[in-house]
Amino acid sequence: MTIAPSMAAEVAYASDRSPLLEVRDLSVVYDQTGLFRRKKPPVIEDVSFDVFEGETLGLVGESGSGKSTTGRAILRLLEPSQGTIRFDGAEVTAFGRRTPLSYRREVQAVFQDPTLSLNPRQPVSMAVTEALRRHGVRDRATRRRRAEEAFDQVGLARAFLGRYPAELSGGQQQRVAIARALALRPRLVVCDEALSALDLTTQNQIINLLCDLQTEFGMSYLFIGHNLEIVKHISDRIAVMRMGRIVELAPAEQLFADPQHPYTKRLLGATPADHPDGRDERRAVRKAYAQAHADGVIPQP
Amino acid sequence: MLKLIASRVTLVIPQLLIVSALIFLMTYLIPGSAASAILGDARSTPDEIARIERLLGLDKPIWQNFLSWIGGALQGDLGTSYVSGRPVSDALMERLPATLSLVGCGFVVAVVIGVTLGLIAGLRAGRPVDRTVTGVTSFLQALPEFWVGLILILVFVLALGWFPVLGYVPFAQDPARWLYGMVLPSLALGAGASALIARQTRTALSEALASRYVDTLTAAGLSPVRVVMKYALKNAMVPVLAAAGLTIGILFGTSLVMERVFSIPGVGTLLLGSVLNKDIPVMQGGAILLCVIVIIVNLVVDILYGVLNPKARPQ
Amino acid sequence: MSDTVTIRTRPRGPEQLPSPTARTVKRLLRQPITMIAVLWLLVVLVCAVTAPLLAPFDPNDNDFTAVLQGPSAEHLLGTDENGRDVLSRIIFGARIALLVGVGSVIIAALIGIPLGLLLGFRGGWYDRIGTRFIDIFDALPGMLVAFAVIAILGRGMLPIMLAIGLIFCMNIARMTRAVTLAERGKIYVDAGRVSGLREVSLLFRQVLPNITGPLIVQGAILVGSAITIEAALSFLSIGLESTTPSWGGLLGVAVTKMAVQPFMIFPPGIAIVLTVLAFNMLADGVSQALGSQRRRRLRRTDRAAARAAGAVGAAAAPDADAVLQVDDLTVTLFSEDKRVPLVTLDHLTVGRGEVVGVIGESGSGKSTFARAVLGLLAPNLHITGGTIRIDGKDMTHAPPSQWRKLRGGTIAAVFQDPMASLSPVHTVGAQLVDTLRAHRRLSRRAARVEAAALLERVGVRGAAKRLDEYPHQFSGGMAQRVAIAIALASEPALLVADEATSALDVTTQAQVLDLLLDLRDEYGMGILLITHDMGVVAEVCDRAAVVYSGSLVELTDVKSLFDAPQDPYTVELLAARERRPRTIEARVPASEEVTS
Repeated sequence: MTIAPSMAAEVAYASDRSPLLEVRDLSVVYDQTGLFRRKKPPVIEDVSFDVFEGETLGLVGESGSGKSTTGRAILRLLEPSQGTIRFDGAEVTAFGRRTPLSYRREVQAVFQDPTLSLNPRQPVSMAVTEALRRHGVRDRATRRRRAEEAFDQVGLARAFLGRYPAELSGGQQQRVAIARALALRPRLVVCDEALSALDLTTQNQIINLLCDLQTEFGMSYLFIGHNLEIVKHISDRIAVMRMGRIVELAPAEQLFADPQHPYTKRLLGATPADHPDGRDERRAVRKAYAQAHADGVIPQP
Repeated sequence: MLKLIASRVTLVIPQLLIVSALIFLMTYLIPGSAASAILGDARSTPDEIARIERLLGLDKPIWQNFLSWIGGALQGDLGTSYVSGRPVSDALMERLPATLSLVGCGFVVAVVIGVTLGLIAGLRAGRPVDRTVTGVTSFLQALPEFWVGLILILVFVLALGWFPVLGYVPFAQDPARWLYGMVLPSLALGAGASALIARQTRTALSEALASRYVDTLTAAGLSPVRVVMKYALKNAMVPVLAAAGLTIGILFGTSLVMERVFSIPGVGTLLLGSVLNKDIPVMQGGAILLCVIVIIVNLVVDILYGVLNPKARPQ
Repeated sequence: MSDTVTIRTRPRGPEQLPSPTARTVKRLLRQPITMIAVLWLLVVLVCAVTAPLLAPFDPNDNDFTAVLQGPSAEHLLGTDENGRDVLSRIIFGARIALLVGVGSVIIAALIGIPLGLLLGFRGGWYDRIGTRFIDIFDALPGMLVAFAVIAILGRGMLPIMLAIGLIFCMNIARMTRAVTLAERGKIYVDAGRVSGLREVSLLFRQVLPNITGPLIVQGAILVGSAITIEAALSFLSIGLESTTPSWGGLLGVAVTKMAVQPFMIFPPGIAIVLTVLAFNMLADGVSQALGSQRRRRLRRTDRAAARAAGAVGAAAAPDADAVLQVDDLTVTLFSEDKRVPLVTLDHLTVGRGEVVGVIGESGSGKSTFARAVLGLLAPNLHITGGTIRIDGKDMTHAPPSQWRKLRGGTIAAVFQDPMASLSPVHTVGAQLVDTLRAHRRLSRRAARVEAAALLERVGVRGAAKRLDEYPHQFSGGMAQRVAIAIALASEPALLVADEATSALDVTTQAQVLDLLLDLRDEYGMGILLITHDMGVVAEVCDRAAVVYSGSLVELTDVKSLFDAPQDPYTVELLAARERRPRTIEARVPASEEVTS
């Protein structure tokens, strides 16, 4: 059952609704190198959040915040050192190094740099058909048909099917990546900085495409980004991360209207505005904040 | 600084152990036992073989022999040659100066020619000079060093008579003639190696010159001379040092061949003889000596690399 | 690669070949030097294959009446010590060369490639131990290994191939590992895993094809090396038996007879040199054909000609207050046969204490403009028209010596990537001190004190201690502050910030921009701020110039720019920032919009 995204925000608070993705106390530590085992600080620590069916959870943070690592942990591209991930009620983290194929179908991803996320030696259609074949679509004609469908849905002409990634523009490549994710009919798509490598106008096109697809198919998004403006546009709720932890999690409108955590306030204050008006005030606020925290360190979350 | 040296030295120890183990194991790999090699076919009766083996200690467990060999080596005793009966270390020490002279002079030639050519090409990257140098170095790299040696002998010794007819004069005996005798061999050795260094220098320098920090410092008003001499060069030297280190290992190998070309009585000739005669102690002794020298040289290069490049230092 | 807006589409040419392999081969065929190399290798191959037919004599035909003869009509390359025809022996020698060369590389590959793949793909402890292992083998000089193998196995073709194979296998392993690691770290492998593709499948279908190129390059080089090593071993008489005609063996004999017949050392030597050279050139060619970036050689073009080519118009009147004044500027790219104007700016000024933004997308020419203003244009770019005046001085065609006088004190720059903007092997203090002393007479000690003060001023706390640290020990934002300190060392009148905050986090960007404004307030310098981000313009600039395709399309104060943009491109840029609301919400009309 899918819910209209605008209702998802309210629904999130209803405690009787079970989430599609449930993350509790997730921690990731990159493995120690060298003979001398030094205790390394965790990359992410005690991360907990839910993603409900049909909603978009935005995950926002600057470099080093751990947002990408969180995404990768959910995609099972790395092993968490602690914590659990539950998908549709089933605990995924218990599987150890193996990941069940069903998870691989239901949880998909769109990555940051489309040029790098496509195999340069394969025509782009194979990105889709390879995935389909792995998931049991044996008939070549069916795979082809579904690839064509996927391309239609993302707004790519079928003529592109035989082309190589190098022949496509950045926006077109990203559409291929979305088609690849879409073709498996996932329930959750992790968008890891999916717009960051694109030009401004292309970003608009792709984000609108993502919104439209969500309306049509009802999958959930975990939208990871560093640009608050973009994340706000697509998210129902937003989690703000800093130095490996979530410092605030709230519905999108509320986060912008009434931020609670000092870091969120600082992030909002630092984001360039749309218009020069009020910039002197913004600058004064930032200055006051910097003065108040003379040593420049914001209290730990 | 101490931390850097300590960390590098600790890495070297397992290397030394494994290399010496491998060299030691060679004895056991040679088909037909060592004993029959010594006795020759005529006297290879089972009794005689057993007797020799007991003498050589080959009936004891491997690890015990290994430890005693290592122990002996650390004290300077590398066993006795099967062929000549002389202590191996004596023979090696006799010949080591010649090999070291050869490699040392070859290295100097390689670095001088290589860095000079590389600097010229790097400073004028993209211009005709650069392309000429690249062509020259490509050509040099393709020349077998021993052939270059032969040509040099043909021209300068046989035809022109400028240089002595081969042989080696120890430095201690007559420095001038030692140097004189080293000119041709080191040219032959250094020519090929210089090509590698020249290429690395050129790439490193042209990349350094194109870097952002050159722009920053130039835009800040530093004179171009200072920007190149102090900043670009030091950055460029980092990969060049790595290349130079690599070169030494290669030079030790090629010097073994060069000894034959110029009739220089070095370790290589000794080793060559031992290969043909299956004189195992000499083989092992020579091999371990050369390997230890190469490892130590690499260690020094590694440390220098850490000095030059702060990013390579242990945090 | 950037997408294009609807009004400017870039059509893909029909001559683009699809498969990367086809493209590589096509590029290879266009390289003359590589083709010559391939030609020679084909000659060698033909000699090897058709030796019995091609050679005029049997290579082992002794003729003791004609020993050690020089070249003659009958024996084109002379005879050896047994009267055998040298040319025939050379032709047969090609067999040995190719057999040993290719054979040993195959052995090396059989050992090295799986090892490298294993280490690169598995990672973790396998990799850590394995790399140590490979490093250890580096310590063994190749010749020693060869000696050892021959001592154990005796002479002959197989021991030689094995010996050389062992010498190379670690080289190949290391290379394979490096390439595997690089490919494996690429996102398309992650994407494959997310799609559910099995690791083995990923390895063979995704990673391996991308490795073959570099492996071929390395293989070619190693074949050449193998031939040289075999030659050396045969020369030392521990290689192949002397009845087998190998080029190295021929040389070995030639040495002993050098006094009598010196010519003999040439034919085999030249054969070896040409073949090794050919393999190296082939490797180079393949390497270039594989590389995605074609190295464009910037040729220095004649500045005088450039000046002559520029239009000589009436000079605009200098504006006394402006630190930067640009009039009718044209910057042209001089390539082999054509000249392309990259930037045409009719007018731009930056006043004291004024922040002027130059905004455009990538490729708009804004960075070229910045470099022109700094006098740092690439060798094939020239100013062919108009003037650049910095603090009143006409610097349009000024020689480098004049620029040097201006730099630091009058004009300075901060660039995009702070880590690349500082020399990684010098301390931050050294770079600051050098900059300070470049313009003023200061002792080292005094300069250090100043440098510390400067760092504190730009917000680096504990500056005195940090002077001795290296750039990589600073975070991105802090490193950019250091770059700003360097730019400010001599209190310039004009600061050019070329995408100075584009590589920084949002909060760090805000800090750096605030810093620039503070410094502007304190020093009164003008700032030329190059950016692609309208938000930065809104926050910081007093006036802004919009650049599209090298031309200035709009220049106005910042409020007017946002409130009433004139040029359609500006409108587009602004609209792109304002995102259209999501479809679902758009379907629900806001109450204000419902008008009857």
